[in-house]
Amino acid sequence: MSVRTLKGNGRWWALAGCLLWLAFTFFPLYWVAITSFKTPLGVVGGPTYIPFVDFQPSLSAWRELLSGERGQFYNTFIASTIIGLSASLIATAVGSMAAYALVRFTFRVKLLSALLFVVVAFGGYLICYNIFRIGQALSLIYAFLAALSLAVASSRLRLPGPVLGNNDIVFWFVSQRMFPPIVAAFALFLMYTEMGKIGLKLVDTYVGLTFAYIAFSLPIVIWLMRDFFEALPIEVEEAAMVDNVPSWRIFIGIVLPMSKPGLIATFMITLAFVWNEFLFALFLTHSKWQTLPILVAGQNSQRGDEWWAISAAALVAIIPMVIMAGILSRFMRSGLLLGAIK
Amino acid sequence: MSQVRLEQVTKSFGGVLVIPPLDLVIADKEFVVLVGPSGCGKTTTLRMIAGLEQATSGEIRIGDRDVTTLRPGLRNCSMVFQNYALYPHMTVAENIGYGMKVRGTPKADIDRAVAEAARILNLGAYLNRKPSALSGGQRQRVAIGRAIVRQPDVFLFDEPLSNLDAKLRIEMRTEIKLLHRRLQTTIVYVTHDQVEAMTMADRVVVMSQGRIEQAADPITLYELPKNLFVAAFIGAPSMNFIEGTLERGGDNLVFHADGGVAIPVPNGRAALVAEAIGQPVVLGIRPEHTMVADPSFPTVPLKIADIEPLGPHTLAIGKIGPAAFTAQVPAGTRIRPDDTISVPIDHEKMHFFLKSTGEAIGR
Repeated sequence: MSVRTLKGNGRWWALAGCLLWLAFTFFPLYWVAITSFKTPLGVVGGPTYIPFVDFQPSLSAWRELLSGERGQFYNTFIASTIIGLSASLIATAVGSMAAYALVRFTFRVKLLSALLFVVVAFGGYLICYNIFRIGQALSLIYAFLAALSLAVASSRLRLPGPVLGNNDIVFWFVSQRMFPPIVAAFALFLMYTEMGKIGLKLVDTYVGLTFAYIAFSLPIVIWLMRDFFEALPIEVEEAAMVDNVPSWRIFIGIVLPMSKPGLIATFMITLAFVWNEFLFALFLTHSKWQTLPILVAGQNSQRGDEWWAISAAALVAIIPMVIMAGILSRFMRSGLLLGAIK
Repeated sequence: MSQVRLEQVTKSFGGVLVIPPLDLVIADKEFVVLVGPSGCGKTTTLRMIAGLEQATSGEIRIGDRDVTTLRPGLRNCSMVFQNYALYPHMTVAENIGYGMKVRGTPKADIDRAVAEAARILNLGAYLNRKPSALSGGQRQRVAIGRAIVRQPDVFLFDEPLSNLDAKLRIEMRTEIKLLHRRLQTTIVYVTHDQVEAMTMADRVVVMSQGRIEQAADPITLYELPKNLFVAAFIGAPSMNFIEGTLERGGDNLVFHADGGVAIPVPNGRAALVAEAIGQPVVLGIRPEHTMVADPSFPTVPLKIADIEPLGPHTLAIGKIGPAAFTAQVPAGTRIRPDDTISVPIDHEKMHFFLKSTGEAIGR
């Protein structure tokens, strides 16, 4: 059923309902926009709604923001852009490959190998740190490398016990997003500081924050892209296989172009997540690579609730996303698979 | 030399044996059609030849190469899929030339091959279109074009015409036959449509439950079906079956149907079916062999339930005793449902099968 099929009054009610909902969703945005053009006195002096009628707009909040009076605005904006774009791009690329592999190939991981990984990773760290006393960071690296190689090697052996399949792997990925992010953020901060002590500087660096965002975005990317790849007709890939097209060419030349809308949607969702992310940025950066959410929140801290400044900063944080969504949504049209089958 | 040879090939899916040991030799340049009801293993067999399914055991050879464990790309087969499986983001020309492009063929050679394929398949005007702008028949021709430029040892067709409408299907049937005559390449063609199988094949392989019921040229299948399954599957409308027993009546052999009708067996056949005297047998007679009223033919009473006028002739559908029976009567015959008519049986065209095994006797 669509609005078009409604007759007479029903149609007007539907329209009124839609308009009401539109007003409801747009009002906060409108409120932020006009607040950013108010003077401090205009904000605290009671509510006013219509510029030039209720109050005289002023550019003072914007002037303060853009002149750098309220923190390193340009620096933060650029940091946010670079980290946001690169983290979502890499996460989408890597996650898509993982998702494709999980859809088209069968993996069999022995539970015993997975347990071995956990035991060696934790045990190795404790042994290295407490018995050999070689520092937390190095202990971590050694234990992880040993655990990974042992787990991979052991999975080739005939081990008893249950075998995990593709669905278990996907669940493992998704489960990483089930615990509260603060757990990971705090642990990451500790790990990054330890790494800093052996010369591998990760706190407040591009690599450190981007890496954290990629790792935290991967579950969502894999989960979303798996659904898109599963919906692709396998015959198209089989036709290419029979035609002796190598797997990576099938992926790059056929699968990716066919799933363009999915890739763009996933990229947008990841970008939105990274762009708006607060907690990791708060823990893992302090000056040079601080991102916009931290700047916006920071407006609240030193001199009380300066709503005009917060509004201006919030708008700046929204605008790039609006533009990106506007551009990319044009590519998200459906019907790309038309003509492939039937 | 591109003979395809399957030796003791089996296939199991998760412990379920879908193809018991299967032997099949497809000669060089032969057009073989695998036909059978859904789930009979014909597509699985084709996919094992293509390498898209791995045979659980046994050996598959193409020409003198053992390809049993070879990946699909190295078998030099071309496959045309039921749902076309075109690359939706490429034009017709790119679709046809993609495999060559990936293999690093010079562009001039690709263009020449694409142009040649387009000429054979009448696709010249559509080379720059995307698949979404083509009709079903054109899409299937693009898929065939993609197969041709590969210059394969074997063409594999997986129900390529079943998504087309009836008229187009008949046209494409002829086109594929012409293509076979022109390219002289071995073709393995899968279909569930017995008319397609009969009209196109040099040899038809009738399959059921993963086994080959009979492999022979179309006329042999029609005239000398090896068992009840093949007899029922080949021919439209299907062969009529009447259960009963063979008994000696004086000098002659007589078939006594369970409903009480008796049909004498002509002397030429009597000696051949004498082995089954006294055993339950099934008599088979095709509807088209019940039309001509020769004075020497025995007749049976048919109680009509429905009438299907087809133009050249009319089908009278009803029962002879307890057995369902379809008779073909000349067009314009005045019959109505609930009439009982006397149907002549061309007794030279009768088939006999043992009820216990379904095997044909006296052939």
